[in-house]
Amino acid sequence: MTPLAVELQHVVKRFRHHVAVDDLSLAVPVGTVYGLLGPNGAGKTSTIRMLLNIIAPDAGRIAILGAAPSQPGILDRVGYLPEERGLYRTMRVRDVLRFLARLKGLRRDTADARIERWLERLELRGNGIDWGRARVDELSRGMQQKVQFIGTLLHDPELVILDEPFSGLDPVNAQVLKDSVVELARRGKTVLFSTHVMDNAERMCDAVCIVAGGRAIRDGTVASLKEAHGGRHVELTLLADAGDAGVATMAVLSDRTLVERVDDYGRSMSVELRAGADAQQLLRHLVDAGAQIERFEMVRPSLRRIFLDAVGAAGTAPEMSGHG
Amino acid sequence: MDKLWAIFAREYVERVRSRWFIASTLFAPLILGSVIFLPPWLASQSKPSADVARIVIVDATGTSLGRRVAAHLNGGITGDTTRTQVRTVAPAQLAAAESLATADILSHRVRGTLVLDAGTVAGVQARYAGTNATAANDMAAIRDAVRQEVLALRLEQAGVSPSDAATLTRLDVKLVANRVTESGQSGRGDVNLLFAFAIAIVLYLSIFIYGQNVMRGVLEEKQSRVAEVVVSSVPATRLLQGKVLGVGAVGLTQIVLWLGGSFLLFEHRSTILEMLGLTSIDLAIPALSLRLGVFLVLYFLLGYLFYAALFAAVGALVSSEQEAQQVQLPVALLLVTSALFIQPILIAPEGTVARTISWIPFAAPIAMPLRLSVAPISGAQLAGSLLALAASCYVAIWIAARIYRVGLLMYGKRPAWREIRRWVWYSE
Repeated sequence: MTPLAVELQHVVKRFRHHVAVDDLSLAVPVGTVYGLLGPNGAGKTSTIRMLLNIIAPDAGRIAILGAAPSQPGILDRVGYLPEERGLYRTMRVRDVLRFLARLKGLRRDTADARIERWLERLELRGNGIDWGRARVDELSRGMQQKVQFIGTLLHDPELVILDEPFSGLDPVNAQVLKDSVVELARRGKTVLFSTHVMDNAERMCDAVCIVAGGRAIRDGTVASLKEAHGGRHVELTLLADAGDAGVATMAVLSDRTLVERVDDYGRSMSVELRAGADAQQLLRHLVDAGAQIERFEMVRPSLRRIFLDAVGAAGTAPEMSGHG
Repeated sequence: MDKLWAIFAREYVERVRSRWFIASTLFAPLILGSVIFLPPWLASQSKPSADVARIVIVDATGTSLGRRVAAHLNGGITGDTTRTQVRTVAPAQLAAAESLATADILSHRVRGTLVLDAGTVAGVQARYAGTNATAANDMAAIRDAVRQEVLALRLEQAGVSPSDAATLTRLDVKLVANRVTESGQSGRGDVNLLFAFAIAIVLYLSIFIYGQNVMRGVLEEKQSRVAEVVVSSVPATRLLQGKVLGVGAVGLTQIVLWLGGSFLLFEHRSTILEMLGLTSIDLAIPALSLRLGVFLVLYFLLGYLFYAALFAAVGALVSSEQEAQQVQLPVALLLVTSALFIQPILIAPEGTVARTISWIPFAAPIAMPLRLSVAPISGAQLAGSLLALAASCYVAIWIAARIYRVGLLMYGKRPAWREIRRWVWYSE
């Protein structure tokens, strides 16, 4: 059996007015990229803070890398990027990074060598420019995020915990982050991240856990979740200028004998077929209605669909922030 | 231990490097410098004007007083009295003579008019009117001249020979008061008082400034969300320890630099005064004994720990600088109250009030060093006060650490008292 990087057993965390985490159990095998998915207020951050021994659980058992998080030295093997990023604003970039490295027990010479490599890799140094000498508050937001990210990975952690890593990132930095996560996974590191951006989770995660109201409502590998969710879905994209056929097309998609529901994005739609309905028949009806079809593809349900269904079924109103 | 050191070092290095630290460290020796070098300079400036004698003396006394004063103002009987015009008049003509003299002043021929009459000889008053009436040194010179000459005149009228009268009236007694301590004589009383006062103020300011520094540091880490990054690597209490110790070390560094700088400045004052072309004056600053130095540092450290813990708790409770200003008020008031006791203690350093205050932990860090520098304090009193203070430090740190641990990651609405109580009693 693969050893576990993170294990939660029946963990409970109560705050004064609500239960943030309610009997949550998780198992993240070493070497996987694991997504903790949930709407805002689902208990993701509380779970992560318990993993990092920042707050203590009221009940249950937590193990990271095979030990209790409070065990001395264990957190030195974990890298953490909090949702709310934070650096000492008036310190110089190199000094901040050196400080963060020392908090993880890294020797100064080792830290210095790695800092130089990372600054170069994330383009904060080179071509005669050295942002390592600058004060943190002289950096752009994007550059500060890079520095924070370096601080998370400087000590080459075995387990990397990222809380909403993509929130507030510009596309360039999001790409840098995604590449780095992929590279970490290739090197056999375990990555656990929380997000409500389903597209990223679907593409990057080996396994996920969907939490709502502090409880795990689905978990497993992405493939197994899709398998279990069932349903047949069609990704439909229409050509831009549909003309008069638009009304007829919508009439076909409203046919309750064929279509269970439609997730409409305008030009492209995610169509869930009704049980027993024939996709070919739907296609014929659409062509007959004069729809200009660009794409008609049978797909498995998206993680987003699974998430919405699961969270909806759990009776928690998902507060999606427009990321999809 | 290594991580505590990392936090300590960051707090220390970042602060000591700051411009604020360098400026405030230079500030105190500058103040002391001005205490040493300003008086000789001022003394060199404080002489009566050269033409203080260019006046009209209207003498309606019917005696030689007018001429005597004129001679006195011009350097004695042998002096050149041409600058001073003495107009002897009958009492009835006094008003007319005065208006004539006023006209002389207005046309800038003389600086002023000194009116001597029967009241002057009786030792009641003399009148002066002139453009330099507000110049303290000029007035002192004229007053001294009139006093001595009235005295000499009355002695002569009583039958004392003029030469004896002159000798008897030329007196210039200065009162030099020295304070006596157990270790022997230790400097002038007034200087000693000033020194004790300075020590109390330095302690008060250092504890206040560095306590607030801790509060700002906590708030900054909370606001910039660095706190969460740090406490994912070390326990929150370790971060608090490192911060309090680091900032405290900065304070200690500053005090040591202040004392050292002041000591050097004082030791080499003659050389510096010579370089400035001033003559040294007798300024006996009390010697800072090793015992006093040790207790000074001890009380600073304990006082700082006590207040820094409370200020740290304030920093963890609030989310903005404005809120911090409000919430720190009770803590600041404790410190301000202890500064209010400075005067009563200086008046009676061994009295009941002073002794009682030394036992009150929040006031002892300022009260005790103040008393130590002006009066002999028994070992029992010292030990008792230190013990009470140390115990309070322990309680303050215990409470603050608990508030800090929970408050550090709480944002938004400020917790109510009941909530804070829960934080304190909540244990893991």
